[in-house]
Formats: sequence, structure tokens, C-alpha cells
Amino acid sequence: MNAFTPPDELAVKPAGLSMSEDVARMKGTLLKNIRRSAYVYRVDCGGCNGCEIEIFAAITPIFDAERFGIKVVASPRHADILLFTGAVTRSMRMPALRAYEAAPDPKIVVSYGACGCSGGIFHDLYCVWGGTDQIVPVDVYIPGCPPTPAATIYGFAMALGLLDQRLKEETHHEAAGEKVALAHPDIPYGLRVQLEREARAMAGYRQGRDIVEEFLTLIETRDPAPVTARIGDLVTREGDPRRAEIFQRLQTVFTAAITGDAS
Amino acid sequence: MLKLLKEVFRTGEATHLYPFAPLEVAKDFRGKPEHNPAQCIACAACTIACPPNAIGMETDPVAGTRTWSISYGRCIFCGRCEESCPTGAIRLTPDFELAVARKEDLTKRAVFKLALCPCCGEPVAAAREVDYVATILAGPDATPDQLARTRELASTCPDCKRRNDVDLLIRMGIERQMEKRI
Amino acid sequence: MTATSETRIGQDILAALRAKMPHAVTEERWQTNDQVTITVKLNSLPDVVRTLYYEHDGWLSTMVGNDERSINGTYALYYVLSMEGAAKCHVVVHTEISPDSLEFPSVTPSVPAAVWYEREVRDMFGLRPVGLPDERRLVLPDDWPDDLYPLRKDSMDYRFRPEPTEDNENYRFVNDAKQETTVVPLGPLHITSDEPGHFRLFVDGETIIDADYRMFYVHRGMEKLAETRMGYNEVTFLADRVCGICGYAHSVAYASSVENALGIEVPARAQAIRAILLETERLHSHLLNLGLVCHFTGFDSGFMQFFRVREKAMTLAEMLTGSRKTYAINLIGGVRRDILGEQKAATLALIAELRAEVTRLLDILMSTPNFAGRVANVGRLDPQIARDYSPVGPVVRGSGHRRDTRADHPFAGYKLVGLPVNTQAGCDILSRTQVRIAEFYDSIDLIERLLDAAPGGPILTEGFTYRPHRFALGYTEAPRGEDMHWSMTGDNQKLYRWRCRASTYNNWPVLRYMLRGNTVSDAPLIVGSIDPCYSCTDRVTIVDVNKARARTIAYKEMERYCRDRTNSPLK
Repeated sequence: MNAFTPPDELAVKPAGLSMSEDVARMKGTLLKNIRRSAYVYRVDCGGCNGCEIEIFAAITPIFDAERFGIKVVASPRHADILLFTGAVTRSMRMPALRAYEAAPDPKIVVSYGACGCSGGIFHDLYCVWGGTDQIVPVDVYIPGCPPTPAATIYGFAMALGLLDQRLKEETHHEAAGEKVALAHPDIPYGLRVQLEREARAMAGYRQGRDIVEEFLTLIETRDPAPVTARIGDLVTREGDPRRAEIFQRLQTVFTAAITGDAS
Repeated sequence: MLKLLKEVFRTGEATHLYPFAPLEVAKDFRGKPEHNPAQCIACAACTIACPPNAIGMETDPVAGTRTWSISYGRCIFCGRCEESCPTGAIRLTPDFELAVARKEDLTKRAVFKLALCPCCGEPVAAAREVDYVATILAGPDATPDQLARTRELASTCPDCKRRNDVDLLIRMGIERQMEKRI
Repeated sequence: MTATSETRIGQDILAALRAKMPHAVTEERWQTNDQVTITVKLNSLPDVVRTLYYEHDGWLSTMVGNDERSINGTYALYYVLSMEGAAKCHVVVHTEISPDSLEFPSVTPSVPAAVWYEREVRDMFGLRPVGLPDERRLVLPDDWPDDLYPLRKDSMDYRFRPEPTEDNENYRFVNDAKQETTVVPLGPLHITSDEPGHFRLFVDGETIIDADYRMFYVHRGMEKLAETRMGYNEVTFLADRVCGICGYAHSVAYASSVENALGIEVPARAQAIRAILLETERLHSHLLNLGLVCHFTGFDSGFMQFFRVREKAMTLAEMLTGSRKTYAINLIGGVRRDILGEQKAATLALIAELRAEVTRLLDILMSTPNFAGRVANVGRLDPQIARDYSPVGPVVRGSGHRRDTRADHPFAGYKLVGLPVNTQAGCDILSRTQVRIAEFYDSIDLIERLLDAAPGGPILTEGFTYRPHRFALGYTEAPRGEDMHWSMTGDNQKLYRWRCRASTYNNWPVLRYMLRGNTVSDAPLIVGSIDPCYSCTDRVTIVDVNKARARTIAYKEMERYCRDRTNSPLK
């Protein structure tokens, strides 16, 4: 490999476009007060198709964005809104810019999906420029990989001023004396980790974690009945055979651990 | 044609009311990753697991802080952060309404204080991580004194640890030689 | 590795090859019971590949270039052949190329299917196929520097972005027509469709004489990324994003290539879950294509109906994986989500609804009078051309060839259940559509059977170690056909090389033959019938050679013409 060069110097930045003041003012008015149908032209700057299919899903019967007058059109010359997807590949930079130039001012640019918003998983690759805003000014970002049709509708509704933006920039500063609590402090740490691992191997990170939490809560609950009996009860009462199997595995781990401790 | 008409009538209204009615997503839908700074120990496991580098961590030795950050604009909603987190500080929620007009609004940060090495004074790890590790290592029955010692050991930087070990070995060697002489 | 000489499949083929060419094969290495890599001398490469291809029912699945200079001082090529005769196995023909000459004899003159692979390996590694007539770039952008080969290990950092030099594309399109023709360019941007691609149709009046296309507008450099920034598990999430529709198939193919290379046993339950999700993906993908067929034949209400019903498949995916795209489920060694009892019941209910609704829609579609007229005998793919170019999926099955990776080389959960292979002999769009319809019903049956056949036990295995420089194939049958991945492990907890070949890659080269002789108005329909993650066309340049003029027609206009077939834009 060549001598180390900082990543910023490796990548040439394409020249961005600027907007004249008149256009910016017109755009402000348009965004504030659109009150009519908005025509959308899609510009695929080298995405994986995931975004394109979800846009389709958003304009077909179940989600039907045409309810709001949002209509996908055939030519950038008819468009109010340009929807950019993809991380902007090297080959698509010029076609994308041509589409941008072809749309009449004032136009709203929507950056769609993780790749459009920031380059996504491809953000620093040699053959991409890393997102829509690297080549054209962007008005609305719709994150998601891909954004679901509902997220798409929310994004459009927000762009057209029908709904408010919910996400805000946030910075948390550690307060004095803040401490991270140890989960399930009454259960030996080693045993807890063993149970969590078993649950993850059986049912994955999400379902497994929910199941093991149920199990751990049961163990640490103070109850006159002995813990082994309560676990046996949990296994037999479970109606779903798969969940019962997982509880049984946890029971085995638990039993091995406590008998091991005793000996 | 008639068949199509019949199908159309059978279907009726297929369109979901969203955004005028809330949309229910599947139980374990992977939406916005919600970070709970109170549970985070700033161990950086999620930054390593994150395939698109949406989660990052930056250390500022001058300010003595370590800043965790996520960009929802780059996130691919895979849940690897949730999977790798040892304290359950991050979990994917059903929230999908993430569109913004300002790119900065896609970022969330949490700033944590760094612990300094008791020997050389260089930053080692987030103070809360050191505390968390010390609590586990010392065990539930540790006296405050034991806990403080474990904490000191846990916050010693690798360089100083190595130096201390060598010192210790040398001292032990000299003592053994002294024993032989006597 | 675990393969023993008694159970190895494909030994007879190797014996026959050695008998025919006694000195060609210098080494044989078995990756699994039915995967063997043979090293051959550089000069016998074309002969060996041709013999395996045409005399032993081989089909070219992929070709991998690799820069192994840091391991053994050479560049390597691996031609992957899927053997689909009596002994079903994979034979990988490996040869070494000296870094001094950088040349190898082209296989394309003996096996046409190799053409795109050899163009690509020239782009990415600077290895020169001697005797390959087509000297144009395939993958890299037109303005990429000439002597910079991205996949060479010492060429550049993966983040290196050279200055753009050329604002216009300068790709040369090829026209084999004998008479004068008109040029119709389509693309790269388009309205209803997805991936950018630039088509050029050469027409005489309304008839297409020849066609050529420029793809890879979306080349991002994923293979380089997998070898640099990412670890093994992260690449499964990258593989999801090879394609937005059949991404999960890529993820499974990648994960199994690494698992095969290291001999990792994936738990049977995880295998079954992978197969169930692959079939879920096939459901939504085939419904998408059926909807598009409606759209292109001017039956837009049908299109909307299919998309309405398709949402049920998306709901199914969301319920099983947490995401409408069956994304982010694989890890090396297993899967990340289980199917609990509640989800099993919901799945059965959803697919029962899907079966009933789609049956009604298909009845409507098939009884629409002008539908058969638009799709029968249009876009013919000759079985011999299919044989020469190794296309995959419904495209090849619609031309009478029985090729289905799930049946030929059972992987994941398909080992637990058998399945039929659907073929049609019509070779036209109708046949390809019928294959997809049959497969839709098969997928529903398969999901039902797999849910019952899935055994208990874990869904993830851990605790294995990564050993350097092991390699193997991993494969799946995506909705569009076979996906073939080849991975080699590295010595730094990262891949040394990952080669991913998507199904549509094998289907593009035959499209040219499918377009020839059809009318311009059928072009979008024909392109749509290979289901290239959509019809990849936007603007059409039509060049009428008789009138010696070229004009560019908006894709929407082309598409309108395809639907309405009135007011020809050519006049």
C-alpha cells in the first residue's frame, strides 16, 4: 500500500452548485405555500433499487401518495420536486446534474435514503461522491435504508409543510455523578452472561434478549416458591413449543450453573 | 373486464389512512435506533459493529471528553449496535418519521468524561466505563476499599501497567536474591 | 477439508478431463464434497473450460480475478463452472498469470459466456485477455484513469477519488447489422424504472436490427470495500445492498461462501430460516415482475392490483425480519432472528391470503384478450444462444433448460425439502411469465413445508476461528436466477477477496439476441421480461440508418408507445 495519506486528501470533492438569491427566495415561497399538486421526478444516482421499489410502493394503492397530489412524472422539465436516490456514482454525476439543470426553478430537492443523505454504507468508496448534497443543494432529507413507504409519505408531507419535523439535533452532556447501573445485580454476572449468550444463539439478538429478560426477571423475583419450581412451571405453562424449547435450554444452563456452584 | 370490476368492488378501500391515522408496524420493526446515554459506557463496541460507520466515537484529550455520535442519515437500520451493546443502551424503536430539512438534525451526540491514568495522567477510557468494569471485577460483596483499588487498577493505562509489572518483577527478583544471600 | 475421496462428487469428470488432456491439470483441491478447484496450465485454459462446458454439461457461473502476488507472486483467474449433468457439482478452473506478462488466452472465442467476465477482469486488474475481440471497458466509468486498476492490492486506497476529467460519456456502442440502421438510445435516466443503463437500439423502420447497452452506471466498488473497511460479518450487510430486491439472496450466498471455505456447520434451523426468507423474497419479487408485465402491456389496473397484493408479501417480510426488505438477517454461522410460534401462525395466514388473491388476479390477467398477443412469440431467446451464454433463472427456464440452483446444488434449507423445477419451451415472454407464476405457487408451498420441516436447536453457531487464504463458493437461487459468490479469507480478520456475481449479470449478454427482429414498441417489454430489477431504460436514441438521422426519444414516450402502440415516435 502507498504511504499513508489522510482520507480527506484522497478524495477529490466535486464542485457544488450554488443558487442565485432570486431562486432561493422563490423557493422559500414555494415551500411555504405550495397549495397544489407537486410533481416528482426521480433521479437514480446509482442506488441498489431498494429505494426505487419503495417509492413505487408509496405511489401504489396501499399508501397512495397521489392522494396528496404527489405524482411521479416522466421528465425533469415537468418537475417541482427532484428526488435523488443513491450515493452518486462517478458515472451518474453528469446525468444527475443534467436532470437538475433541466428542472425549472424553483425546484425542491429531496435526498432519499441512506445513500442519498450521506452516501450510506458506500460513503467513502472510490467510485461514489458520497450523497446528493455533494453535487446539488438539498432541501429535505429522508433517511432509511430504504425508507418505508410510510416514511416516504411523512417526508413528502414534511417537505410540503403538512407535517412538522420531529427529529432535532441533540447533544447529551454527562451530568456529575452519573453512573451506569449494572443490570440484574442480584444474579451473578457470569451466569447472566451465559444465559444471555444461550438465548441469543437460540433466538437471536432481539427475540432472544426479550426471552432472557423474562427468564432473569423470574429468577430475581422474591417469591416463597423455590426458583427451580418456578422455572419448571414457566416451561410447562408456555404454549408456544419453540419458546418452551428456548426456556428449557435456559433452564439447563441455569441448573448446570447452580449445581456447579454447590459442588 | 367484469372479473376486474368484481375484484375492484371486492377490495373496496385498500389505502391506509396514514399520515391521518397512526401506522402500526410489526412487533420487532427496525426503526430509529434510540440511544440511552444513562446506560451507555462508551465502550465503542457499536462503532466497530456498525457496517456503514453511522456510529462514531471521538476522543478529545484536551477537553478530557469522549463523544459518541450517530447519524440517522447514514444508518442502515440493521440493529448491529443493539446486538453488540453489552449494557442494552441502544435499541431500535418502531419510529420511522425521520425526515428533516436541516442535515444537522440527523445527528445525535453524547459527551462523556474521560478517566485519567492515576500514574501518568493520560486519558484512558470513559470514566463510566472504568466504574462499570471495576464494579463487575470487584464483585457484589466488595468493600469500598477493595472497589477503590480495583478502580485504580482498571484505570491504569496499558503503558503504565506494563511499567508497573516490570517494576514489580524487578522488586520481586531483588527480594528473592536478598533471601538467598541471607 | 472434510471431503473424503469416497463421497466426492465430480471425480469422474476430472478423470475424463485428465484422460483427454493428460498434462493440463497440475493440482486439484477440494473445498467441499461437491466443490473442486483444479489448477491448469495457462495455455490449456480455453480448452479445459470448453471441454467442461460443452462435453460435461457445464455452465459458466462466474469468473474471479485475484491479485495473489502477496501470497504466491502471481495473479490468478478462477473460472467457475456449474456441472449440471449426471454428477452435479462445481468445478473451478484456476490458472496463474505472471505479473510480468499480465496476459492470458481469452476463453470467449471457445465459450461466449466468458465475455463480460474477461472485460471486467481487464478493467479491475489490468489482465489482458489475448484474443478477446471486444476491447471496450465494462465496469469502470469512462473518465476513470487508464492505468489505475482498483482491485490490485497495491494500486490505491479504497477511498481514492480521482479528479473528473471528462463530462461526456464516450462509450462506443456496437452494431452488427449488415444494412443501414437507425439508432435508438435509451437511458441512463428513466422514469418508471430503476437502475440507470444506457441502451442503443439499431433499427430499420420499426424493426430492431441490433442492440447494445452500457451498464454499470451504478458501479460503486463494493468488492474493494469488503476487502478493506469491513470485517466478515459487516460484509453480510453490504451483500444485502448489492440489489434492492433480491439482496437477501446475495447475503446468503456470501455467508455460505465463507462458511464453506472454513467448514463451518450452520445449524439446520438457521438453514431453514434462510430458505423461508429467500422464498419470501421470491414472492415479492415475482409479484413485482407480474405487475410490470401488466404495466408494459398497457394493463395498468392490473399493475395496481398486483402492487396492492404485493404489500402482503412486504408485510410478511417485515413481520419475519423487522424490515420490509428481508435485510440484515445473516451472520457468518447462522441468522439473527428466529421464527417463533406466533410468527409461524401469522406467516401461514398471510401466505394463504396471498395464494387466494394472486390466483384471482392471474385469472384476470390470463383472460385479458390482448395479453397473450403482446407476450407470445415476442422476445425469443433461442435455446442454443441460452446454452452458449449461461443465462440464469426464469430467463433460461423459459427457454426449456432445467437449471435451478435450489434443485441442482441444494443449499441452506433446500436440503430439507425437495422442489420441482418449472420450465417452459416457448422461449418467449409468455414462457418466462408462466415460469414465474409457477414459481410463485412453489414458493408458497415451500414456505409451508419449510415451516414444518424446520428442526429445533440454535440458529447461530459461534466460536470458530478464521484461518487465512481459504476460499470457496457460495450460491443461491435468487428470484432472477443463480447468484454466485466466491470468497477468500485474509490474514487480518478481513476478506482477501470477495467476488459477487448477481444473476442479472449473466442475463444481459443474451438480451441483445432477444431484442433482434422485434419491433421497437416491444423493447421495454422484452427488457422487463428478464426482470433486470426493472426495465433499465429511459431515453431511447433511435438511429434510422436508411434516413441517416439520429433522434433521442424520451423513455416515457417509448413506454407509452409500448403500451398504446399508436402514434409511433419514429415517424
